[in-house]
Amino acid sequence: MTDTDPCFLSVAAAATLIATKQLSPVELTRAYLNRIERLNGTLHAYVRVLHDEALATARGAEAEIMAGNHRGPLHGIPIGLKDIYDTAGVATEGGSKLCLGRTPTKDANVSRLLKEAGAVLLGKLTTWEFAIGGTAFDTPFPPARNPWNIEHDPAGSSSGSGAAVAAGLCAMAMGSDTGGSIRWPAAWCGLAGLKPTYGRVSRAGIMPLSFSLDHAGPLTWTVEDAAIALQAIAAHDPSDPASANHPIPDYRAALVASDLKGVRLGVAHAMFERDCVASEEMLAAFNKSVDVLRELGASIADIELPPLALYNATAFLIARGEGFAIHEKTLRERPQDYGALARDRLTIGAYVRASDMVQATRRRLMLVEATAATMRGLDAILLPTAPDPAPRLADLAPYFGNQRPTYMRPFNLTGQPALSVCNGFDKAGLPLSLQIVGRCFDEAMVLRIGNAYERATPWRERRPPLS
Amino acid sequence: MGDTIEARFVAETELLGLELLPGQEETLLAAYTALREMVERVGADYPFEAEPAHVFVPTPSGGGRG
Repeated sequence: MTDTDPCFLSVAAAATLIATKQLSPVELTRAYLNRIERLNGTLHAYVRVLHDEALATARGAEAEIMAGNHRGPLHGIPIGLKDIYDTAGVATEGGSKLCLGRTPTKDANVSRLLKEAGAVLLGKLTTWEFAIGGTAFDTPFPPARNPWNIEHDPAGSSSGSGAAVAAGLCAMAMGSDTGGSIRWPAAWCGLAGLKPTYGRVSRAGIMPLSFSLDHAGPLTWTVEDAAIALQAIAAHDPSDPASANHPIPDYRAALVASDLKGVRLGVAHAMFERDCVASEEMLAAFNKSVDVLRELGASIADIELPPLALYNATAFLIARGEGFAIHEKTLRERPQDYGALARDRLTIGAYVRASDMVQATRRRLMLVEATAATMRGLDAILLPTAPDPAPRLADLAPYFGNQRPTYMRPFNLTGQPALSVCNGFDKAGLPLSLQIVGRCFDEAMVLRIGNAYERATPWRERRPPLS
Repeated sequence: MGDTIEARFVAETELLGLELLPGQEETLLAAYTALREMVERVGADYPFEAEPAHVFVPTPSGGGRG
C-alpha cells in the first residue's frame, strides 16, 4: 500500500477528491479494474467483472461532475454487489448452478438506488450459494479467500464483499445478513459491516433466504463510509412488505461528535464469557475497546441478556423453516444441482414442524421483549462479533462450517441495527472485531459510537499484506 | 428400531416425501438430532400455558358429560 494508491482511499476521501475535481472517476475505476485483474485470480472475490460497463459509467459520471452536476458522495465511486442483488441486464446467479445464466430485467431496489446515486458497478461478488451454502468447493464458483491470509476463510455469506473491500478491489460492497452474513465477513476481513434495522433497507430484488430475518447492508473500510452508503440505500419501498416508512436522519451528521459524552453502553458479558467463551485475544481486544469507549466519555454498565443458545436455536428454527419454504420446489425437483452444503442446510428446514415454528415465533417475541427491557436506559450493547478470528479453510467442519456459535444471530431475531468494526489483530495478523448493537432505527447512534472508536484507534492504518 | 431419534428421522423423511441423495442421510441425521435439541430448548420453560388467555385444559378421559 502507498499513500497515493487510489484503491485504498476511503469512500469519504475519494468523494471529496472527486467533488473537487482532483480525482477522476475514470482513473479511479481503472485503478480498481487493474487491481482486480491482478488479484481476483487469487482471492476469488468477484464472480463477474463488468470492465467495459464500469468504465462507461465512470466516463458518464466524470462528464456530469465536470458539468457541475455532482450527485453526492457516491458519484463516481466504484462498488461491488453480492451476486444475490438483481442487476438489470447483468447475470445474477446466487452462486448456484440452479441460476447459471439467470439475467434479471430489473434492478433490485438497492441496486437502483446506488445507480441513481452515481456509483460505478465494478462487478458481482462471490456469495455462499443462496447465501447459505457455506464455504464450498462443489459450486460453480470457487470460494473467496481472506486477504489477510489466503489460507483462511473470509466468512460469509457475503464472502466476496468482505474480501473485495479488504483487498482494495472496490470502495464499498453490499452484503446481506440473515444470521450474521454482513458482520461476519466484516469481522474476519477487518472491516466495518452494518446490518441496519429490519425494514430500514429494502430487500426487493435480493434473493431471499429467510423472510423475517434477511437484512441488506454495506461492508466498508470505515464507519463513515458505512454511513454514506446507508444514506443512499435507506428508503421506504412498498415492494418489500417489511420495508418501514420511518424518518431517515442525516447519518453522517451523527459522526460530527468526536467524543461519546452522555452515551450509555451495556456490556453483555455472559454471552461471550460464559455462553460461548471468546478466545483470549478476542477478549483482550474487547476489554481494551471498552476502555477506549470509556475514555471517549461513554458510561459503561454490565448487562445480562437471555442465553445465546436460546437466541440461536430460535433463529435457527425460523431461518431453516423459512429457507425450506423458499427452496422446497427446487430441492424436490433438482436436489443434485445444489452444492452439498446448501442442499443439506436447506433440507433440514423440512423437519421444522408447524408446532416448532409456532413455538419459535412465541419465543422470538419473548426474546425481543427481554432484549428491549435490558436495553432500557442504554444507547447500545457491546460484545465481540465472533468468538474467534478467521479459521483456516482446511479446518472448516463439513455441515455447519465453523461450528462455534457467533454473537450475531440475536440481533437478526430482534431486528436491531448492529455494526461490526475492527478492534485489533491477533498474533497471526488476523482481524479481531467489536460489535455495537443499537435501538431499532437508531443506526445514527451505532455509527457514532463506531466512528468515534475507529478515530481513536490505529486499526485503519493497516491493510492486508497483498503484493 | 423403536422410538429412537433415528427411527423418528426415518419416519419423518418418509412422511415428508423427501428423496435424499446418497450420503445425505447421515449428515441430515446429525443435523436432525441438533434440530430436535434446539426445539426442546426453545420450548423449555415456556409452555403454551404461559399464555393463559390462549390455553384450554382438557378434561380427563371419560370425564365431563356422560
